[in-house]
Amino acid sequence: MSAPEPEIMAHPARLKAVLAVLFAALTVAGGVPLFKHRHYGMTFVAGPGVTKVIKLSDYSPGLKGSFTDPDVFILEGAEPGGKALLMADTHANEPAGLLAVLIMIENTVVEKGTLYIIPTLNVSGSRNTKAGDGYPLYFDIPTDWGKVRFRMGTRDASPLESWPDPDVYIHYPEKQMLSYLDVRNTNRTWPGRPDGPPMERVTYAAMELMRKEKVDIAFDLHGAETMFPVTNCIVAPQKSAKIATLAAMTVKAMEGYDSHVEPSPQNFRGLSHREIGDYSDTLPFLLEAPIPFLDQPTGPKTVKLLLDGKDPFLLSLAGKKKLFVAYDEKGWPMDKRVGQHMSTTLEIIRQFSKKTPDKAIRLTGAPKYADLVRDGAGHYYRDPAKAAPDRIHYE
Amino acid sequence: MNIIMILYYVITAGLVLLLGWNFLRERKSANDLILGLLVLVPLVLRLLRVK
Amino acid sequence: MTLQIGAILLLMVAAYAVASFKKLSVELSILAAAVAGGLGGAFLKTPPIAELPRHLVEGMFPYLDVMLVFSTATIFMALVNESGGVNYVVRGAIRLFYNVRVVALLVLMIIILIPGALTGAGSVSLLVVGAPVALALKALGIPERKVAAILFIVAGLAAAAPPVNIWAMILCAGTAIPYVGFTYTLGIPVLILGTFTILWFGLKKEGGMDKAAALAALPPAPPGMNGWRVLMPFLVFFGLIIANRIWPFATPIFGLPLEFTAAALTAWLVSPKRLHVLKLARETMQRLLPLLATMIVVGMLQQIMTATGVRGMISYSVIIIPLVLLFISLAVIIPVSEGVLTYGAAAILGIPLIWFFDSIGLHATVAIAGLSILWPLGDGLPPTALIGRLSVMVSEYKGTYWSFLRQTWLPWLVITITGILMVVYSAKLAFLVRWSM
Repeated sequence: MSAPEPEIMAHPARLKAVLAVLFAALTVAGGVPLFKHRHYGMTFVAGPGVTKVIKLSDYSPGLKGSFTDPDVFILEGAEPGGKALLMADTHANEPAGLLAVLIMIENTVVEKGTLYIIPTLNVSGSRNTKAGDGYPLYFDIPTDWGKVRFRMGTRDASPLESWPDPDVYIHYPEKQMLSYLDVRNTNRTWPGRPDGPPMERVTYAAMELMRKEKVDIAFDLHGAETMFPVTNCIVAPQKSAKIATLAAMTVKAMEGYDSHVEPSPQNFRGLSHREIGDYSDTLPFLLEAPIPFLDQPTGPKTVKLLLDGKDPFLLSLAGKKKLFVAYDEKGWPMDKRVGQHMSTTLEIIRQFSKKTPDKAIRLTGAPKYADLVRDGAGHYYRDPAKAAPDRIHYE
Repeated sequence: MNIIMILYYVITAGLVLLLGWNFLRERKSANDLILGLLVLVPLVLRLLRVK
Repeated sequence: MTLQIGAILLLMVAAYAVASFKKLSVELSILAAAVAGGLGGAFLKTPPIAELPRHLVEGMFPYLDVMLVFSTATIFMALVNESGGVNYVVRGAIRLFYNVRVVALLVLMIIILIPGALTGAGSVSLLVVGAPVALALKALGIPERKVAAILFIVAGLAAAAPPVNIWAMILCAGTAIPYVGFTYTLGIPVLILGTFTILWFGLKKEGGMDKAAALAALPPAPPGMNGWRVLMPFLVFFGLIIANRIWPFATPIFGLPLEFTAAALTAWLVSPKRLHVLKLARETMQRLLPLLATMIVVGMLQQIMTATGVRGMISYSVIIIPLVLLFISLAVIIPVSEGVLTYGAAAILGIPLIWFFDSIGLHATVAIAGLSILWPLGDGLPPTALIGRLSVMVSEYKGTYWSFLRQTWLPWLVITITGILMVVYSAKLAFLVRWSM
C-alpha cells in the first residue's frame, strides 16, 4: 500500500466521483470501437457463379447459432467433375487469402466441378483484435466505384467464444502438447472433434464437409512474416507434393513469381496441411504469401504498411540478408500477394485436373497474378448498391 | 455458452465486486483509487462481452 | 522514420522519469509513459488521436487471464493460511527433516518446482507453496533475505521447467516449431541450477535454533487441523490439473482460475475454524492491487509501443547486433526485456531471435530452452519485477528491494552463463532433444 496523500485525499468522495467519471469515459471511448468492430458485417456479393450459400454448421450442428459458424459459398458447374475447398481467414490477421477468395466468390463461374469457399473460417478470430499489438481495426480496399471495408482480425478466436484457455493445449487425437493459445488457433485444432473446444468444432465441421462431399483438393490461404523461414511457399504433405511442385515450377516459368514447396512436417500436429491429409482423402495445400505487417521489427502498424508492405527496418534487414524473401523499396503490395494466392490456387487446380481428367475442375472469370498486379484487387469487387438484395451476404 | 464459461463470468463478477468494494472504502491513497479503476476496466468490458 | 520513432521513445522515457521523480508509483509511471507515447504518436497519426482511447483500452487485455489466475490463487492461499494449514505443514516438515539438512532443502526445492512446472507460472509456485516453504526455510536457520532469494530463483526455474514453459510455448507458437523435445533439454538444467541455488543459500545454518526451539518458535496449528484437511484443497487443485493431462479428451477445460476457485472452496469447507471469506478475499485483492495494475499498464505500454513503431525499432536494434556481441548481450537484453514487458518480451525479441539463430545453423529447440531459462531472471527486475516482488512478499523480507536482488548475484550469474552457453552450443546439445522425444 502506498503512503497516504493527505492533500489530494481531503475530499475522498469528490475525488472518487471525478476518477470514476474519467475512467467510465475512457471505458466507453475505448470499448465502443471494439464492440462495433466485433459486430461489423463485411459485405460480400454473391457473383453469377454462386449457386448456394450455406452455413458450415450444416455439416456439424455443434457450431449452430454462434459467432463461430462461417458461411460456405458453393459454386457448382453444369457438368460434374472434381471438388475443391478454399478456406481463408484461418488466421484473420493474414487477409490476402480473404481478398483472393472474395474475388472468386464475386467473379468466378464454374463450368465443370464444384468449388466450396469459406471466406472466414475462424469467424470469431476475424471479429477479435490482438490485444497488445496495436493493429488498426479495419482496412479499406479502393475499387472502381468506392471502397470495400474489411475487419482486421487476429490469429486466435476471441475468448468471448472460447474461454477459458487450458494451461496447456493437448492436440486431439495425437496428444501433442501445444501452447495454451493454440486452443483458439484454427490452424492447430485440425482434425477436431464435434463436441470439443469451439475451434475444434470448426475444423471438425470443415473435415466433415470434405469427407461427406468427397472434396478432392483443399486450400488454406495464409500470410507469413518475411523473417519466417516458411514464407512465400506452398506447404504440402507427401501426397500433395507432386502437384505442388509442378504448380510452383509453372507459376515461376509462366507468371514470373516465386513460390517454392515446403514439406509438411510429420511430427507437428494440428495443422491443416498435416491433418486434412492424414484424416481424409482430400489433398491439402497451404499457401503462404509474405506479409511484412506481421514482422516484429517494423515501424508503426498502420493500414498503409498492411497494404503496401513497405518498411524501412525490413529494407535494412534485407540488406543484411536476414529476410527469407526478396525485398526492396517496392515492399510487398497486397495486390501482388492476392495475385499470388489466386494464380497458385488456379495452377494447382489445373495440375490436379490434368492429372485426373475425370475429376477435372474448369472455371472462368478468375483474374490471375498479372491482372491483379495491373488492376489492383479492388477492380474485381462488385458494388453492393447495384446487386440484388438476395445476393448480398454479411459476414 | 457452457457451464464452465458461465462460471468464469461469475468469478470475474466476484472480482469486480471485491475491487469495487475496496474502491468505495479507500480513504487514504489516491494511487490505489486509480489502480483499482485501471484493473476494473477490462474486467467490466469482459462482463459486458465487449472484448 | 527512425528519428520520429526515436523521439516518441524519448518522450516515453521522459514521462516515466518525470512521473518517478514526482514520486508516483511504478504502475502510474508506466501508465504515464504509455499515454505520453500515444500522444506523441498521434502527432504522426501513428496511431491517429481518435484511436488512442481504443488502443489504451485494448492494451489492458493481454494479461486478463493471468490476473484471474493471480487473484484466485492468492485468495485460495489466503484461505489455507488462515485455516492454519500452512502452520501445520511447516511444523511437520521441520519435525521430519530438521536433522537431515540436504534432504530437507532438496524436498523444499521440489515442492517449489512442482506448481510452476505444471502451470508454467513461477507466481503460482509462490502463491501456492511460497509462504509455507518460506517458514520452513526460516526454521532451518536461513535468514529472510536468503529465503527471498531462494524463492525467487527456484520459482523462476519452476516456470522454465517442463512440461509447461510459457516462454518456450510462445516462441514455438510464433516460429512454428513444435513444442516437443523440451523434457530433458529444460529439465536437466533446471534441476542442476535449482540444486546449486538452494544448497548455496541454504547449506549453512545461520540461526542458532535447535529443533525444539524452531518448533516452539512456529505458530501452533489450530485444534482439529490434520493432514487430510491440509491436503484436500491441494488434492482438488492438482487432481483437476492432472486429470486433464491423463484424460485430456474426457475432461473439460477447467483453466487455472476455476481450478484455484474449486480448491479455495474446498479449503473453506474443510477448515477446522470459521473463516471470514469475504473479508479475506477483499484484503487479498487490496494486497494484489499493485501487481494486477502492473499487468494492466504493461499491456497498455506494449500496445502503444507497437502502434507507434517503438517496439519494432527495439526489435530491429537487437537483431542487427553482431553475433558474438549478441550472444554476450543476451545476458542483459533477455532479463531487461522481461522486466519491462513480461511475456510480451518473448514475442517481441524472442521470435525474431529464434528465426535468426535457426538461419545460422543453431538448434532452435535448444536455443529456445536456453533463452527460456534466462527470461525468468527478468521477473526480478523493475519496473514489473512480478516474481521478485512476490518473493519478497511471501518471505516477509523487510529490507530494500535492491538488497534482496543483490543477494541473488551468484545463481543469477551461473544461470546466465548456462543459458547463453546453451544457445551458443545448441547444435552440440541436440542429443537432449532426441532423448526427450
